[in-house]
Amino acid sequence: MNIRCATPEDLMNMQHCNLLCLPENYQMKYYFYHGLSWPQLSYVAEDESGKIVGYVLAKMEEDPEDSVPHGHITSLAVKRSYRRLGMAQKLMDQASRAMCENFDARYVSLHVRKSNRAALHLYTNTLKFQISEIEPKYYADGEDAYAMRRDLSEFKEVFKQETVKETLVQNTSKEIQKNYYVIQESCKESHKEKPSQEKASET
Amino acid sequence: MPTNNPLPPKENALFKRILKCYEQKQYKNGLKFAKQILTNPKFSEHGETLAMKGLTLNCLGRKEEAYEFVRRGLRNDLKSHVCWHVYGLLQRSDRKYDEAIKCYRNALKWDKDNLQILRDLSLLQIQMRDLEGYRDTRYQLLVLRPGQRASWIGYAMSYHLLKDYDMAVKILEEFRKTQLPKPFDYEHSELLLYQNMVIREANMLDEALKHLEIHEKEIVDKLSLQEIRGELYLKLDRREEAASVYRELISRNPENWAYYKGLENAFRLEGEEEQLKLYTEMQEKFPRTAAPRRIPLTFTTGDLFKRLLDKYLRSSFHKGVPPLFVTLKSVYQDPWKVQVVEDLVLKYAENLKEHEHFDRCDDGDKEPPTALVWVYYFLAQHFDHRGDTRKSLLYVDLAIEHTPLLIELYVLKAKIYKHAGDVEESARLMDEAQSLDTADRYINSKCAKYMLRANLVQEAAEMCSKFTREGVSAVDNLNEMQCMWFQTENAAAYQRMGKWGEALKKCHEVDRHFTEIIEDQFDFHTYCMRKMTLRAYVGLLRLEDVLRRHPFYYKAAKIAIEIYLHLHDHPLKDTGKDSSQVTENLTPRELKKLKSKQRKAQKKAEMEREKQKQEEHKKEHQTKKQQDTDLEGPKEEELVPDKLARVEDPLEQAIHFLKPLQLLCADKIETHTYACEIYSRKGKLLLMLQSLKRSHKVDPDNPYLHVSLLRFLKLVNQKKGELSETVHKVIQHELETICSNKDAKTLNEEFLKRNFNSVLHRAAAAKMMYEYEPTPEVQEKALNLATKLSWDLSGLNVKNCIEVLEYMCRGEFGKCEKAVQDYQVQCHNLFPCAPSFIIPANSLPDQIVPNGTAS
Repeated sequence: MNIRCATPEDLMNMQHCNLLCLPENYQMKYYFYHGLSWPQLSYVAEDESGKIVGYVLAKMEEDPEDSVPHGHITSLAVKRSYRRLGMAQKLMDQASRAMCENFDARYVSLHVRKSNRAALHLYTNTLKFQISEIEPKYYADGEDAYAMRRDLSEFKEVFKQETVKETLVQNTSKEIQKNYYVIQESCKESHKEKPSQEKASET
Repeated sequence: MPTNNPLPPKENALFKRILKCYEQKQYKNGLKFAKQILTNPKFSEHGETLAMKGLTLNCLGRKEEAYEFVRRGLRNDLKSHVCWHVYGLLQRSDRKYDEAIKCYRNALKWDKDNLQILRDLSLLQIQMRDLEGYRDTRYQLLVLRPGQRASWIGYAMSYHLLKDYDMAVKILEEFRKTQLPKPFDYEHSELLLYQNMVIREANMLDEALKHLEIHEKEIVDKLSLQEIRGELYLKLDRREEAASVYRELISRNPENWAYYKGLENAFRLEGEEEQLKLYTEMQEKFPRTAAPRRIPLTFTTGDLFKRLLDKYLRSSFHKGVPPLFVTLKSVYQDPWKVQVVEDLVLKYAENLKEHEHFDRCDDGDKEPPTALVWVYYFLAQHFDHRGDTRKSLLYVDLAIEHTPLLIELYVLKAKIYKHAGDVEESARLMDEAQSLDTADRYINSKCAKYMLRANLVQEAAEMCSKFTREGVSAVDNLNEMQCMWFQTENAAAYQRMGKWGEALKKCHEVDRHFTEIIEDQFDFHTYCMRKMTLRAYVGLLRLEDVLRRHPFYYKAAKIAIEIYLHLHDHPLKDTGKDSSQVTENLTPRELKKLKSKQRKAQKKAEMEREKQKQEEHKKEHQTKKQQDTDLEGPKEEELVPDKLARVEDPLEQAIHFLKPLQLLCADKIETHTYACEIYSRKGKLLLMLQSLKRSHKVDPDNPYLHVSLLRFLKLVNQKKGELSETVHKVIQHELETICSNKDAKTLNEEFLKRNFNSVLHRAAAAKMMYEYEPTPEVQEKALNLATKLSWDLSGLNVKNCIEVLEYMCRGEFGKCEKAVQDYQVQCHNLFPCAPSFIIPANSLPDQIVPNGTAS
């Protein structure tokens, strides 16, 4: 499978892959928002015919509470029929490196359902994420989320040696995001600076 | 200000308050102030106030009144830029962008330096791709606001989009000189990379490279920097430098196939041995990476290929890599390689079973038991790919026997049945797979898809509902989420069921998603200029220009066109319900299924559900209406299936779906064969001719084109007397290039001769033979030709045989019940799993009703 940085043309097919694989879905505009705000951060895995079989949709946290620049994984998925090729890890590593290089990110964060043991295993064991806190009732259905983080300073060092050990990804790499409404809100937020096009001119 | 009636101070203050209320969305208050002005008889016809009242009403959802007031205002004060701007805003809110542009232009006539209007105008111009207009507007904005970053960027971009690269580069360079980059300045880095993009598009390769060299330190996007460099070095034939760049890129991301290609090109490697050396080196350097092990399987041949494949397969089976088969897709394009794979893996299966080793004589560590399962799993996929249903089922069952709870095996079995044509069994099996892991949405989605293939529409929606938002029907939620795989499959299912209205509704929903996605651009026109992500922005614009090239649009358009053609040929009767049509419009396969009472019950339930859903939907719609008075776009007309199926102008509707295909999918022959079908029904000979010409360009021997062409010849012959001389001349002239003006019979014979070994081509020729000469003798000859089955024919598969069967059932060979039955028997022997070819014991030939799906 070929792994490369996502282009605007990929975004629709990433949405398709997301709808097939994960319960948290977003409208196209939200993909555009990612792809046009941080074009370096999202990656896709494609098969030989160019079909998207996995992706990571990533962003930088806008106005981080701790004022430390850091990235955030909005969504990560690999089609079930392409799992156990280690692609989730490869996608994540590329995205993380891009966060460091382009935006000086110090760490990358994500959310995962408490019940999603497979994903938790991937993040903890393979990708070296650590649980930073529990966010109660984070998901629409009332489930709690683990907020997780991975420090990227150490990661930068790893990249210098240019060899990343591939560990077989055992299980589903479901990544999860806030429920739909939260997302829509943040999407709106991000556009809050857009000009009010409805405004009539002052005389 | 050139307005006709300036207001006295008191009223003017009120008017300012209306504007303020509008901005702050206090629409009710705005109306109050408007009333205060308008109730004064002296100002009851004050244009700008009337216009603002209209605009405010629009925000409250009172569209008709809004237009009334805005127009009245404008009539009373044609020289007011406010009135024109307001009219433009109103049109824009209805997405009538062309009209809005005209209004803004009129507004600018009376106030040419109004920044807000200029900005609004530039947005519409870029949205509508009025690039020259955009350039002029951006020029004015630059003149008025030279200190703003966006003024420069927008102006440069307008030249870039007009392909005036020199000018674009110059403007960017002037602007760049004014910049003082901070350390680690992402936006500045993006600006430089955009400038570089323009330089490269101008094909100024040396300059582009130099530009990168100068600014290397300021560019933070190291990946782009290197990728561009690699590309430039290759183009400039600086191969050593290219090689070192690609080496770096590979160590950065060793799974990117393009980098290996770049390296190969840099070294100008020739011969597989030499190529392989490179990959062997990379394998050693990146032992955990798949690409350098996998890529050589594509270019190597002979024994070398065998050796590498053997190694690749063994290590994968040993480790247990479920997607092994799908990683070999391109290898399967070479029949010799397919045979090598088969021989090897069959041998593994035998040896693993008996000795737990891949090799008979190997006496090292035993392979884990999982190796054999994955070998069986692989073989089942392999034989499925070869179309050998029997063997592929054999191996998947062996695997299930070995490891009964492996979900992948059931998924595969379902797939095998699907390929074999038994959609019902495949849906059942996928449901079984799904039940083994209900937390996985991928399996859930696949299951829903297979259910749709089996026309189990309601079951599919229920399946999806396990992962859609609670409190909303799954179908609505999937629509909201723009879930187009579901909607296109759903449309196809409704089409097979003859529920034209329901199917059309899905097609229109998909079409609307595309419209919506094109609308989505709007916000990014200003957003990206601020964020400086200009390369991605240009990428977005270019994507949106060809958005409907996406396969989802194609699928929806194809179904919609087929249905509209059908509705043109067989309009629904006023009283008849959609469902009464069903029996008429089914394929033979479905007709048989229809017999069960069960099905009727199901349909009834479905209809009730549908009704309920519609009501729900309406309710939701209403509440929405109440909430969002401040809607972004115009309210869309509700899609009512029954209304859609009784449309007055089905051909115009079909053309609506066809147009984007003609523009964007001209390389697909179906685009033109559909066009031909539509225009033949409109009696437009020249447009038919145009479509034939285009089809001919794509594939002169296409069977559908052949049928269209011969029918066209017939039509021209019939209409000979009515045609004007010029039209006739044009037709003759064009036909000369397409078919050398040969007569239909000769064309048909030659076509058949050229394509004698293809199932669909034979069927097309046979159809035309009978159509031109519907006698019993020709009928027999044609049927013999169309229904001959043997493995040496190309295109011999379930799908094509069903197509031939449908021609027969549809009466394209006249009445031929006996031949239909014989054909079904023959096909059944070849494809025992496909229900279409099973003749139920109690079925009589006369029960086979001509199928009505549009061709």
